[in-house]
Order: sequence, then structure tokens, then C-alpha cells
Amino acid sequence: MFGFVVRRLISALLVLFVISVAVVALFTYGPSDPADAMCPEPKCTAERQDAIREALNLEAPIYVQYGEYMSGIVNGREIAFGSESYDCDAPCFGVSFIYRVNVWDDIKDRIGPTVSVAVGAGVTILLIGVPIGMFAARRRGSSADKAVIGATLVIESIPYYLFVLLAFLYLAVGAGIFPQDGYQPLTDSPLKWAWALLLPWLALGLVNSSKYARFTRGSMIEAFNEDYVRTARSKGLPERTIVNKHALRAAVVPIVTIFGLDFGALLTGTIFTEKIFGINGLGLRALDAVGQSDLPVIEATTLISAVIIVITNLVVDLFYSVLDPRVRLS
Amino acid sequence: MTVSEVLIKGGRDPEINPEPSSSEVAGRSPMRIAMDRLRSDKVAMVCAGIVLVFVLIAIFAPLLCKLFGVEVRAGDPVTDTDSFNYPVIGPPNYGFTWEAPLGLEPNSGNDLLAEWFYGARTSLLVATVATIVSTIVGVVLGLIAGYSRGWGDRLVTFATDLFLTLPFLLVAIAVSPMLVERWKENPAMLDNASLIALIVILSVFGWMGLARLIRGEVVSLREREFIEAARVLGMPTHRILFRELLPNLVAPIVVSFSLSLPATIAAEATLAYLGVGVTGRPSWGQTILRAQNWFDEYPLFLYAPIVGIVVLVFALNLLGDAIRDAFDPKSFR
Repeated sequence: MFGFVVRRLISALLVLFVISVAVVALFTYGPSDPADAMCPEPKCTAERQDAIREALNLEAPIYVQYGEYMSGIVNGREIAFGSESYDCDAPCFGVSFIYRVNVWDDIKDRIGPTVSVAVGAGVTILLIGVPIGMFAARRRGSSADKAVIGATLVIESIPYYLFVLLAFLYLAVGAGIFPQDGYQPLTDSPLKWAWALLLPWLALGLVNSSKYARFTRGSMIEAFNEDYVRTARSKGLPERTIVNKHALRAAVVPIVTIFGLDFGALLTGTIFTEKIFGINGLGLRALDAVGQSDLPVIEATTLISAVIIVITNLVVDLFYSVLDPRVRLS
Repeated sequence: MTVSEVLIKGGRDPEINPEPSSSEVAGRSPMRIAMDRLRSDKVAMVCAGIVLVFVLIAIFAPLLCKLFGVEVRAGDPVTDTDSFNYPVIGPPNYGFTWEAPLGLEPNSGNDLLAEWFYGARTSLLVATVATIVSTIVGVVLGLIAGYSRGWGDRLVTFATDLFLTLPFLLVAIAVSPMLVERWKENPAMLDNASLIALIVILSVFGWMGLARLIRGEVVSLREREFIEAARVLGMPTHRILFRELLPNLVAPIVVSFSLSLPATIAAEATLAYLGVGVTGRPSWGQTILRAQNWFDEYPLFLYAPIVGIVVLVFALNLLGDAIRDAFDPKSFR
């Protein structure tokens, strides 16, 4: 078990290292010119742009820049744009080219909304998908089973941003059933927070749950055919105990794995939800930053998302090894 | 999957194997058997028909436009829209007209039927090329990882994990403008820079699943006698990989291709909505992006591309499922 944890930790750290190098390299070798993004030509003279380039230390070799960037995250650093100088406290992800503020101060309040959307949608996926799959598995071959599985296929064919977009257009804008005032902080009022996020959760959850419904159905049917379920039946255990305790426990292991891998996709999938519902999250900030070539913000959002994905994958793997003893032993 | 397994399965199923003469059956290859199973699957055939219609629309888009008397990207905001930017003919203010069967686009006055035909072309072109490229990359890397023990395997596995960890959408929206910027300087690529950037991004993020699948298959195949025999005969490694192993991997490759094609179409539309995507040529995703504020007044504007995407993706998904079942000797239908 210990060896397994160490091996997973090392590979996670290695992945993070490569991603962070790639992010810094993007800054150095990316074709868009930081000086031009900060201060376009008519506003700044060519000499001033050169001064900015020099101040940003763009000519330095990549390992020097990487070292500076990483030590900035840990210790903070001072960043100079030409004559202006900014104190960037740890964790320092640089200073926004456009707004001239510390990137971390700019985005730290946006992690909450993004995580709220993703976690809520994840819970909704499991709450909708797994029970539907169990329902279909218990009635396999019946017309109810076929109807449910057919419906999941149809839903899955709708690109999920379209599903979220249509839900927003008709239920929030058109019918006005749901609010459309973006994110409400959890600390202000949990009720308002949940009410504002309910439609994003339902839309994102429903469209992603179809895969889980089919998957749960498959692994439940497989579990029903196992010997221990037959033994439980012949012992005369109530059907509810057999389904919920015996079969579900075995069926849920692969579902957890897939869910963990999907969570990263879900996290980036919130970009649409944020754009469509006007939620001020990481994704929306990243989209704006791309539009403005605001490289430090792009770097920071990509890096933070990657960190969150790596951590979720790690947690899922560890959780998986607790659930399924075969993983530990192999 | 071995031939004998398929034959036993095929012989048991009267629907799949209508002619009972066993001497004929023995001569059929697994590919033939799968094709025969597919041919007797009505849902699959209907879906294949629908997909074929879309492919024909994509290929003959200019001809179809001529047939309907419409022209792509020919709208003139001055003559084709009124002072409120509404189109002067067709919906939402006027009835149906043959001059523009799907109406004109508000603001620009472009013909929406022509946009739709050419949108099908963009969608299928991008998805097909990206899926082919990512399939080739996935197969080659999967073969290398599966067949080489040690560092080659570790390297490819690590790259697979790495690409699965990268936040795809964030990287796509960050990298795509840079690629476009760089390639625009090359005059040969000026018009197609955004198209090529999109295909590159979709390919780079599309190979991991297949690489894992192929690696797993190769790991079990490489221990089999025929590979051992080939090695003992002194066959060079590339010949073992491509002549001996590859033919045994046709089924997973075909299945993976047919299931990732609709996913790529959906991804293309998704990226277009985020502003990453083809510019300068019609695309369903771009039309949806422009149409969303008109959903109430002018639903046809929004729904024409949505119906296009959903029907095409749905048909491809069902077809992919049918192909998977046809290739799977264990499936009971």
C-alpha cells in the first residue's frame, strides 16, 4: 500500500513538473508578443516596448525563467514593467498585463465558483446516473429498460454545451423559472448560492449522467450474475439488501474510477457553464485573458486547473485502492 | 478475438447467418462476418444512410447551393437587412420564401441555407481529418508502448497520463490563437490557418484512449505463438508490428474510429462556441454562437445548425455502437 502511494505521488509530481515547464515555455516561445499585449504600438514607442521586454527578462534561457517563476510562486518577487514596478507577494503568478494587478489576487476569488459548479454537477451526475442505471439493471430487457437506455443515447448525442445553452435560454431567460444573476457567494447565503447554481448543476449533471446510467446498468447486471449474489438470494435476503449492499458495492468501484477521470473534464467543462450563465469563475477569466493575450492570467489558470485535476486523480486512485483490495496487492 | 470464436458465435445466430451451409461459413474472414452482421442490422443501415446524406451534402455543397439558387457568404448588410438589422425577406418578419429557404442571417444578410451546407462540409472535414490523424498517432504509440518493454512503454504511458491531465479546453483556447498567429505569416496557409490549428488541436488531444487500448491488446498478443514464431524467424520488428500485430487490431481500431468521429464533431462545435475554431468559412458552431440571442425571435436561425449537429452525431453514435457489436464475438443481439 505504501509503495503504491509513493509511486502515485511521484508520477503526479512529475506530471505537474512537465506541465509547469510547458506553461513557462508557452510564455517564452509563444508567438504573441507580451510587450505588444501590454502596451500596443501607437500608445508605446518601440523603445518602450523594448524596455518592457528587457524588464520581463524574456531573453533569458528558459531554465532561468522557470526558476524565477517557481520561486515567485513560493517566495513572491518583484516585477518591473519598464519604469513601473510591482510587488508581487507569494504565491506570485505574475502581474496581469491588462489590469496591472497581482494575478493571484485576481483569480483566487474565482476558484470558489468554478469548484462549486463542478462539485455540484458531479454530485448531480451521480445522483441522477447511478439510480437510473440501477433501475434499468433491475428491469433489464423490459420496455422501461429500453426506454431509459434509448433516452440516454439521445441525450448523449447532444453536445453538452448545447444542452446547457438551451436550458439557460428557455428556463432562465425565456420562462424565467430560474435566476440568471450569476454566482452568489456561499458565505453570504447558502440558500441563494444553491438556488443560483441549481440550473447549471441540473443541466451539466443531466447531460453527463447518461454515460453513468449506462455504465451502472452494465456493471450492476454483471454483479447480479455473480455467485455471491446468487448465494445472497438463496439465503433469502430481501431484494433491497441484495441490490444496495451486495451488488452496488461491487458495481460502484469502476464508476468511481471513471468519475475521477471525468472530474477533470467536468472542471474544464464548466467554462461553458460559466460563459453561458455569466458565472465569474476561472474559466470565464481564462476566456477573457485569451481574448486579450493576457499571458500571466492564461498561465495561472492553466496551471491551477492542472493542479486541481492532478490532485483529484490522486485522491481517486487512493480511494480506489481502499475500495478495491486487488489494486493494493498487485 | 479468434476466428473460431467468431465462427461458433456466427453459426449459432440464425439472424446473422441466414444460409446454413457450414462449408461457406468456414471461408469467411472476421471482417466479412462483422460486415454481414452490420448489414443485417436495420438501425445501423438507417444510420449509415443518414450519415451518407450528410457526407453527400458536404461534398456537393456548391452544387446544392446552385440548385437552391443561394450563394454562400454573399450577404450585403446594406441591401439585405433593414435599418434594425433584420433581414428584408423571410423570417422572422416575413413568411417563407424560396429565395432563401432558411432565411437570411440578421446583421450580415448571409443566406442561412448556404451557410448550413458549407457548415456540414467544415464539420465533417475537420472531424474526419482530426480523427484519422489521432487514430494513426494512437495506433503507432500504442504499438510502441505495448511491444517495447521498459523505457518506450514507460515514456508513452507517461505521455498518455500527461495529456489526460492537461485541461483540454483551457489549453485549446490558449494555444489556438498562437498557432493561428504564427501560421498566418505563411501566405500559403493564410486562409486555412485557423482550420489547420483546429485540426492539430483536436488531433493532439484525441489519441490517448486508443493508445491505451492498443497497448493493452499488444501486451497480450505479443506473448502468442505467432509473434514468437515471427521473432524466431528473424523478422524485423517493424514487420512484426505492422504485418503481424496490426491486422489483429483492426477491430478495436475500427470501433474506436467510429466512436470518436461523432465526439470530434461535437468538440469542434463546442470549440467554435468558445471562439476557437474556423474563421472565414461557415461552421455550425459559429452560427449557433451568433444565433443564441435570437432564440426567441428567430428560432430557425438557432435550430438549423443544432438539428444538423444533433442528427449527425446521433446517427454516428448509433452506427458506432452497431459496429462495436458487430465486431464483438461475445455480444448477443
